[in-house]
Amino acid sequence: MARLEDLTPAMRQRLTELDCPKYDTSPFVTGEPLAGRRVAIVTSAALTPRGERPMLPGENVFRELPTSLAVGDALMTHVSVNYDRTGFQRDINVAYPIDRLRELAADGVIGSVADRHYAVMGSNDPQAWGELADRMVGRLKDDRVDAVVLSPV
Amino acid sequence: MSALGHLIEQRGIATTAIGLIRPHMEKTCVPRGLWVPFELGRPLGEPENADFQRRVLLTALRLLERPGGPVILDDYPEEAPGRLPDAGWTPAVTLPPVEAPADDASAWDWARALEAELAMVLPTWDRAQAARGRTTVGVGRLPVTTWASLLCSFLGGHAAGPSPVPDLRAIQAARYVVDDLKALYTEAAVAPGAAPSSQQVLDWFWDHTVAARLIRAVRKACLTSTDKVLTIVGGNQLVPSARVT
Repeated sequence: MARLEDLTPAMRQRLTELDCPKYDTSPFVTGEPLAGRRVAIVTSAALTPRGERPMLPGENVFRELPTSLAVGDALMTHVSVNYDRTGFQRDINVAYPIDRLRELAADGVIGSVADRHYAVMGSNDPQAWGELADRMVGRLKDDRVDAVVLSPV
Repeated sequence: MSALGHLIEQRGIATTAIGLIRPHMEKTCVPRGLWVPFELGRPLGEPENADFQRRVLLTALRLLERPGGPVILDDYPEEAPGRLPDAGWTPAVTLPPVEAPADDASAWDWARALEAELAMVLPTWDRAQAARGRTTVGVGRLPVTTWASLLCSFLGGHAAGPSPVPDLRAIQAARYVVDDLKALYTEAAVAPGAAPSSQQVLDWFWDHTVAARLIRAVRKACLTSTDKVLTIVGGNQLVPSARVT
């Protein structure tokens, strides 16, 4: 497995030339210092609680990952087989840094950790994510979250 | 991910995105982004290195305090040392040289060969998951005793029976069993505390196991199918592009 520049030329070209949405707005929400923020993680690794149906490509859904979910119960169901999973096998935090976030809260660096975090299938078309974002942000606001860190794979 | 950051920010919550593919972050004008020079699948850089991960995460979070938006895109300066091979690493599983069935072998022969190899891998995997306290095996939601027969049922280029998982087609169920098979082998191969590169672990799996030979054989069989779903899932979701032979 590799960094982008180490991939085969065909794969590298496919990834770099991937059609990305272009927006005519430039939102930029400011807020209080980090020590007062309540932070949630959103991952595109299609993490799914153990026992649930994997997230399938094309399904514009998200899964909720409670902070209390045991690290052994978050499974990676991403459709792609072209990125590394051996790091995740050794340590969930390399893709979903839930323990690091808890430590930052315990040390007072951030205000608090959200009760719930979220996973999406990163290979899906984000042009179709408007309604998904509406629902996710509704849930985030219910949880009083005012900062989100996005983690890809 | 960068696009989702834009959509969340647009709805009133501040975001900061870690990113592995810089051109995507540039194209979507991510509100706040930290490009990291790590391999795909490892956005925090280093497994089992809490200090390294904390530095990456905190660098991304600190962007939330920085004025000067709406577009902030920084490059993380630190490389991940675990990307390099560990010259002293050897797999924790010892397997005999691969003696996979011949190309024209029956599904029954393939199934017996995989079951025999699995019997050698499972004790090491049991110890590894006990030491780590977790496993990533389980996506397929099927017991390991069913894996060989399910995978081998596709060697004829079609589903030989109904799906064993009610909410998935048979080939989708097989695809997740392949994920579990790969995870079981690679979790077993890396002893707790060892830190080989991903390349080393995957070289071992794809070049030295019957399991990998079988997965490639299933892929080839699926590509002969007239069922479009079988060709898509079997062709694209079993073997990484770089490991197709």
